[in-house]
Formats: sequence, C-alpha cells, structure tokens
Amino acid sequence: MMRAEPWQSAEVCGPTKAQGIKKTAVVGALIKKAKYPLLVVGAQALTEKTRKKSMIDYFIEFSTTHNIPIVATANTIKAFKEKGFDNAYSYGAMEITGRLQDHEWKVAPKKGPHDLVMTFGFPYYMEWLMLSALINFSPHIKTVTLGRYYQPHATWSFPNLKKQNWNDALKEILTPVGGAK
Amino acid sequence: MKVEFALTEQKRARLKADKLDTGFGSFRNVEVTIGKVVDDDWDEPMGPTPMPDVTMLRSWDHKLLTRYRPAYMPACQLCCLCTFGKCDLTSGKRGACGLDIEGQSARIVLAAANIGCAAHLAHSRHMVDHMIHEFGPRFELTQGDGVEIEAPVTRLVTGIRPRTLEEASAVLDYCETQLTHTLSAVHTGQEGSWIDFESKAFHVGMVDQVGMEIADLAQISTLGFPQSDPEAPLVEAGISSMDPKKAMILAIGHNVVPATYIMDYASETGVADKIDIGGICCTAWDIARYDAKAKIVGPISWQLRFVRSGFADVVVVDEQCIRTDIVEHAKKVHSPVIATCDKSAMGLPDRTDDDVDDIVQDLVSGKIAGVYLRDHAKIGEVVVKTAIKMHPKRKKKGSLPSKAKIKELAQACRQCSECIRACPNNQPVMDAVLAAQEGNLGPLADVYDECIGCARCESACPNDYELHSWMVKAAEGRWKQESFMVRSGRGAIKDTEIRTVGQPIVFGEIPGVIAHVGCANYPDGGRAIHDHAEEFAKRRFIVVFSGCAAMTVGTIKDDEGKSIYERRPGTFDAGSVLNVGSCVANSHIAGAAIKIASIFAKRNLRGNYEEIADYIHNRVGAVGISWGAMSQKAASIAAGFWRLGVPVIVGPHGTKYRRMLLGRADKAEDWMVWDARTGDRVQVAAGPEHLFYAVENFEEMMVMTAKLAIRPNDTAKGRSIKLSHYIDLHETYMGYFPEDIHTYIRRETDIPITLKAKIHAQMKENKWKEKPIPDPTLVRRLVYGGKGGGE
Repeated sequence: MMRAEPWQSAEVCGPTKAQGIKKTAVVGALIKKAKYPLLVVGAQALTEKTRKKSMIDYFIEFSTTHNIPIVATANTIKAFKEKGFDNAYSYGAMEITGRLQDHEWKVAPKKGPHDLVMTFGFPYYMEWLMLSALINFSPHIKTVTLGRYYQPHATWSFPNLKKQNWNDALKEILTPVGGAK
Repeated sequence: MKVEFALTEQKRARLKADKLDTGFGSFRNVEVTIGKVVDDDWDEPMGPTPMPDVTMLRSWDHKLLTRYRPAYMPACQLCCLCTFGKCDLTSGKRGACGLDIEGQSARIVLAAANIGCAAHLAHSRHMVDHMIHEFGPRFELTQGDGVEIEAPVTRLVTGIRPRTLEEASAVLDYCETQLTHTLSAVHTGQEGSWIDFESKAFHVGMVDQVGMEIADLAQISTLGFPQSDPEAPLVEAGISSMDPKKAMILAIGHNVVPATYIMDYASETGVADKIDIGGICCTAWDIARYDAKAKIVGPISWQLRFVRSGFADVVVVDEQCIRTDIVEHAKKVHSPVIATCDKSAMGLPDRTDDDVDDIVQDLVSGKIAGVYLRDHAKIGEVVVKTAIKMHPKRKKKGSLPSKAKIKELAQACRQCSECIRACPNNQPVMDAVLAAQEGNLGPLADVYDECIGCARCESACPNDYELHSWMVKAAEGRWKQESFMVRSGRGAIKDTEIRTVGQPIVFGEIPGVIAHVGCANYPDGGRAIHDHAEEFAKRRFIVVFSGCAAMTVGTIKDDEGKSIYERRPGTFDAGSVLNVGSCVANSHIAGAAIKIASIFAKRNLRGNYEEIADYIHNRVGAVGISWGAMSQKAASIAAGFWRLGVPVIVGPHGTKYRRMLLGRADKAEDWMVWDARTGDRVQVAAGPEHLFYAVENFEEMMVMTAKLAIRPNDTAKGRSIKLSHYIDLHETYMGYFPEDIHTYIRRETDIPITLKAKIHAQMKENKWKEKPIPDPTLVRRLVYGGKGGGE
C-alpha cells in the first residue's frame, strides 16, 4: 500500500484532507449508515477492469447488492443501458456536481437528498475538482472515492494502491456489512 | 476662412479650419482635436450604454448569473494574496478581509479574465501604437470589400466606429481604463460578492473582445492580410513543411510585428530563398497571413518538440504562451534566442544599442545564448544574418539522443512513477521507459502522439532524463512525415455572407454556429476536434476555427490525403469550415453574431449592448468550444461570449477554470422570459441549458453541442431540425432516446416528422401541453408598445 498523498503530485489541497481507507469495512459501514447513498460513475469505467470483470459489471453488482442508484456520466450510461440495468441515471459530470450542491436535490423521488456519494472513473484532476466542490459547498454529503488513487478532497479515499490491493479492496466492499439493505 | 468648432457627444473639443494664420506660420486644412475624435457623421442613433463603465451592464449580467448560477470547484481552500493570510476558507470560514470561499472563487475567475484581457489588450496597444508610428494616425482601417459594418464589437460596446488608427487608439484608451477598474476590484477589501466579481469578469471579457477586434483590424488593414476572404490561401503546415536545406527561423508567440521585419529584411536583401520561416501558435497564423509562403509549424504544444528536434537555427519569441524556459531548451540544441517583446525579455541582455554585426558574432559563436532587442528593424537584420551563419554550423551538431543511447540510459530507471504522476494526462511514461530498456521505443512514440509538450515528466524525473527528447526521437519517423494543408486566416465575416445566413440561423434552419477556439491542452490528442467539426459540418452547422485549434483540425487527413480545409469551403455558410485567424481574430466570431442582429434583424448596434446580447442569447444558436483551453486568455475570451449569452464548452482540463455556469432544466422558474409582443411572462425550454460547461470526453461534447444550440426563438422548422440532431447524437453516444424531448416541444409542428411516434409517447407520459412560442427577451424594457417597464 502506498502513502495517502495526491497521485498527481501538485494537486495538494487545503487544511482538510481525506482520511485514507485502511480497512474496507469503513466503506461498508458508511453505506450502512447512509440514508440515501449515490454512486457516480465516469467514463473511465468503460475501459477499466477489476480482475477480469469490467467495471460496469462490477458496479451493477455493487449497486444491486447495496441498493444504491447510479449516476452514469457522459457515455457511461450507454454501457449500463446496454446491459439492461435500470437503476442508472444520466447526468454530465459537471451537472451532477452542480446538482449535489442543492441540499434538496435527489436523483429520483424517495431516493434523496443524498448524504453519501461514491465516485469512480474520472480523470484524476477532474474528480479532484468535483470533490472540491462537494467538500466546500455540500457539507451535508460525505464522499468516498473508489479509484486506485488518493483523492484528498474526498471524506474517505483509498490511498494510492497497487492494482492487486485495489482489486482485493473492491471485492471486499461488495459484501454488505450486516447483510443487504 | 471657414472655421468649425464642435463639442462632441463626449464633450471633447474639435477645431477644423481650411486656413489658419498663426504666429508660427500659415496652415491649410488644419484639424485640431482636444481629447479624442468621436464620429459625428454616423447617423445611427446612439444606444443607451456607449462605453459602459464597470457596473452599467450589471443588471444584464445578474439576469444571466441568476439563470446560470456559478458552480465553484476551488483548486485551493486558502487565500494567500495578502499578509493577513494565509486564510483558511473551509467549512464556511471567512478570511481576515471578510471574503468566503464563494467570493474568493469568483475573485479567481475575475483575476484570470483580467490577466487574459491584459495580454490581448497590451498586444493590441503595441500593434496600434506601432502602426501609428509606421503609417500615421490617419491611416484608414478596413476589413475589405463586402464589409460595411466594420468592427461590430467596438461599435456595439463603445458607440465608436473606428475608421483610423487614431480612433482605434481612442477605443483602446477606453478598454485600458476598464481593465484598470476590474483589476483593482481583485485587490483586498474591494469587491465582496461573488455575483459582482462574476459581473466584472463578464465586463472585462467584453472589453477583451473589443481589444482583440482592434488588434486584428489594425494588422489586417496595415499588413496586407486576407480581408474577409472566404478563399484565403491554403498554406503548408507541419514540421516537415520546413525545408532543412534552408536556414530555419522559428517564430513563437502571438505578435506578428517582429516577424514581418524579418521577412521584409530577407526580401529586401535578396536572401529570402536562403531562409525558411515557420511559426508556432498564433504568430504562425499571422506570418502566413502576411506571406503565404511562411510555414505553420503547429500549435503551442509543439514548440518544445520542434526546438528539441534541433531544426531551428534561430528561435524568435514575441509574446504570450511562450515556454518561459525556452532559452534553456534552445541552448541545448545551440539555437540562439531573440526576444522581441517587452513582456517577455527572458532574462536576455538588451543589445538594442549595439552594432548588428557584433550581436550576430556573439550569437553565432555561442558567447551568448540570446539577446533582447527593442528595435524591430534591428531584429530583422540580426535574425536573418544569424540564421544564415548558424545554419552550416548547426548542421553538424546532433540534437536528439540516439536510440542506443536512450536504451542505455533507460536501464537506470528507478520505477518511481514520478513521470506519470507529473503528467497532466497520466500518460504511461514510465512503462514506455521500461519498454525502451528492451530497445522498444514504440510506447515512447505512442506517448508522443498524445503529449501536450509540457515536459513536466522531465522536471519530475530524479534521473534527469530528457524524456520529451526521447519521445521526439522515438516518433522521429512520424513527425518527419508531418505535413498538412490549412487555410490561412480569412479575417471577418462579410456582411453579404450574413445576409445569406442570418435568417436561417435565427429561425434555426441552419442549426447552429460552432466556434472552435483556443489552445492545445488536449486530454488525448487533437483528433476529437477534427471529428467533431466534420460531424457538425455534415449536419449543416457552420464551423468556425481560430488559434491553435485551427491548426490541429488540419492535421487529420482523409483517405485522399486531404485536410478538412481542402474538403470544405471557407465561406460562412452551412457545412463550411472556416478559419478566421489568430487568437485576436476570435472577435470576428462574436462580430458575426452581432452582425446577424444588425443586418437580419435591423437592430441598432451603436452603444446598445444589452439589447443585442439579449437578441443573440435568445436567437442565435452559437456555441463556443475550446477542447484544449489552457490560458487565461481563453478564460477572458469565454467571458466575452458569456456576456453575449453564448454558451461555451471546454474539454476536461477546462474544469481547472474552477467554475461552471450551470442552468437547472428542472427549475421552471429559471426559464421565464418576457414575450416582447404581448408583455406576458412565458416559460420556455432550457435553451441554452448551460453557459459554461466542461465535458468529460468527446462523446459528451458531441451531444452537449447539439443541445446547447437550441434557442427559445427557434421556428417550428428550426426546432424540429435541432431536435433531430440532438436526438440522433444522443442515441448514438448515450445509447437511448433522450428523456427531455417533450420539454422542447411547444407545438405539434416542432416534432421531427420521422420521430413522431416516440415523441408522442413521451409527451403523453409527461402530460404535455401546448406552449406559446414567444418573441423572447430577458429585458422587460424591450417589450413592444410600451408594455414593458423597469426591471
């Protein structure tokens, strides 16, 4: 496991900094505690894999297991639709970043306002800024990044992980804490 | 003797006399102006806001900023701009001056726009002052045949119709005053509200468009550039367009004046056939506009690769977007650097007052790495003489490492990943180095293809590998073949062209005008720009280019080896792809939108900003795109479009401008307009939905472009055409029929005929009701027949 420091060296942030996820049970506990979690998946999920599984398949399983709706940005929505997954909603990355600053906003009736947002699949610098918006203007939301690289503007983030460790972590967080919701 | 004395509308005095006897002698046709000349034989009535001050258009800005609320993404949660700080602005805390994170974020937006505007404005001032010195203050300005509404941006903003260099200078006086005010607002303890910081950013963006217009007008008029020419010549571009048998001069930057002296000196002394001059960035466009034989090496991101290739016998830098460590890089390949601009003297000795032959001797011998010269004539002579003398000497010097040397050096790679972590695009540089250990340079060549030329990988490498040179060497076979044709910058759009397309644009039958502008900070190479332009041109949009984007689009060739400029006409018409020119020519794109309001809709331009911006925002389906936006200039250019109500899309790196302007399609109350015919408040669909938006990738750019071209005023036919494109692109890239089409249907006639069944089903599901098609305006006073009133 590498250190909890920004992957792109110059992307240092301010006084607050994400807590590094040392045990994956933290993610499970955050999901369990959250009333209306949301998963935001960017287009890098279309090309990234965990072990031999596409990240789209992984997130369908993740969403189904934890009963969490997905916002799929850009053309990521196409992959979810093609697999017949119907708990994904289409917003641009900037649109969802803006909407989540509205403390009343929800992705669908009875599914919000959101108190936990998990993110994956964006260019590092872009996710860094999206999370900056949320940490500064959406204090009601906790954020968790599920990518390999440390994102200091999240509430919780994996430290920079080797691929194998990251694969293991993703597998572990598929299992709900205390059973499915 | 006939004497006229007039007080102009600006209350400045002018005295004209056909003969005047004074103690100094007798003069004929004397004209004395105290203050600046104002056009008093122009019969267009003056609008309500000539030369608006910083807050005169504030209410217009607030209308836009209420609908398109800023969404900030701070790069830093601290403020360190004064000695009170650093101040922690997290969790609602305020700094010692009282500013919170929202205000501070808006302040940074304004700071960027100020910097960008200052760069263009200083360029413009230099250009105008220099041309006054060369040609005299009464030299007449022109944009060519077929253009009666010259300088539409300037007319709109200032109420002045600049006909001479002297009048252009007066316009710049106004711009400089405004910039001073908006810059001062960034000081500690001045502006305190995000919305007013934003309004000032809009203001300085508007001023920037005026400054750019004046700069291009001055150079077009004086330097023989193409004047509103749809058939501006095709010119050769790419690294291999340069002739290695000749002494090569590389000009980098944005201000063409020094390069014109180089070309003139070479011609006048009969050595033009011994040198080859090529440009990087906007100077490239303008040297090619000056002389079609000059070469366009490439966009800004190519400067380091070309310098590292070692071809340039002399590197000449003027201003803006130059690598600030250019002297160090050029020194490694023994290329002397001539700095020509006071904004970028690069630490070089000022040898302006020295003998030319002494300067040349010191440069050629390598005694000095470069010089700063303030005298343009001397620049021409020094550069040409140095290049010719350097050429045979430098031919013997190697510049790039051999493949064997790269393999040898790569063995010591520490595998620390610092090169990847430093790369803005997270490119697999380290993996490429590890492949080079085995003698495989293919991955390094692949990195080159998407490299933006920042060389941060080199700075980060603990082994001090010259990684960019390695990439250039690895890709040698590619760039040595790099040659393509681009169309020289045409300048403004003709009034006659606007007459042809004004109505179909406003009615929506030409579905939009796409303006690709700006820099080369691409997320994954520049192909996206070409593919986007080609697709939208096929769909009968008008596609306009400027700046580095205009070069990049030419790099992609079809099966017959033709670039998009060779395949498509350069007229301002449906399906065309045209290049207006360098960065300052961006003003012609705004000018075209403004002229639509004037020529097609017969609206007065003069000092009438709010009405025209309102017209453009509601009627002209223009969308600005800067896929590789990098600079503060790009920020101020965008700000100028925002104030005109024109949406701007940037690529993913554009998120680093740290603020979007986002509409909320789900909030009906945000989309209310006045119907100018009835005075009623009417809800319209969310069009354009956003005013500033960073897309995540090419696919999102395709869909967002079509969507942002929708305007409230579209006719039924126009709306139907625009929706067809939006639906088709959405289905292609997002994989399903968009769910918001019913919101854009006002009447049955808006429905694209082939999609009726699907749309009817969606309308039924959403309990659609017919809506009026208003004559839309955001400005209540523009309601006809006195039904309007105050805001």
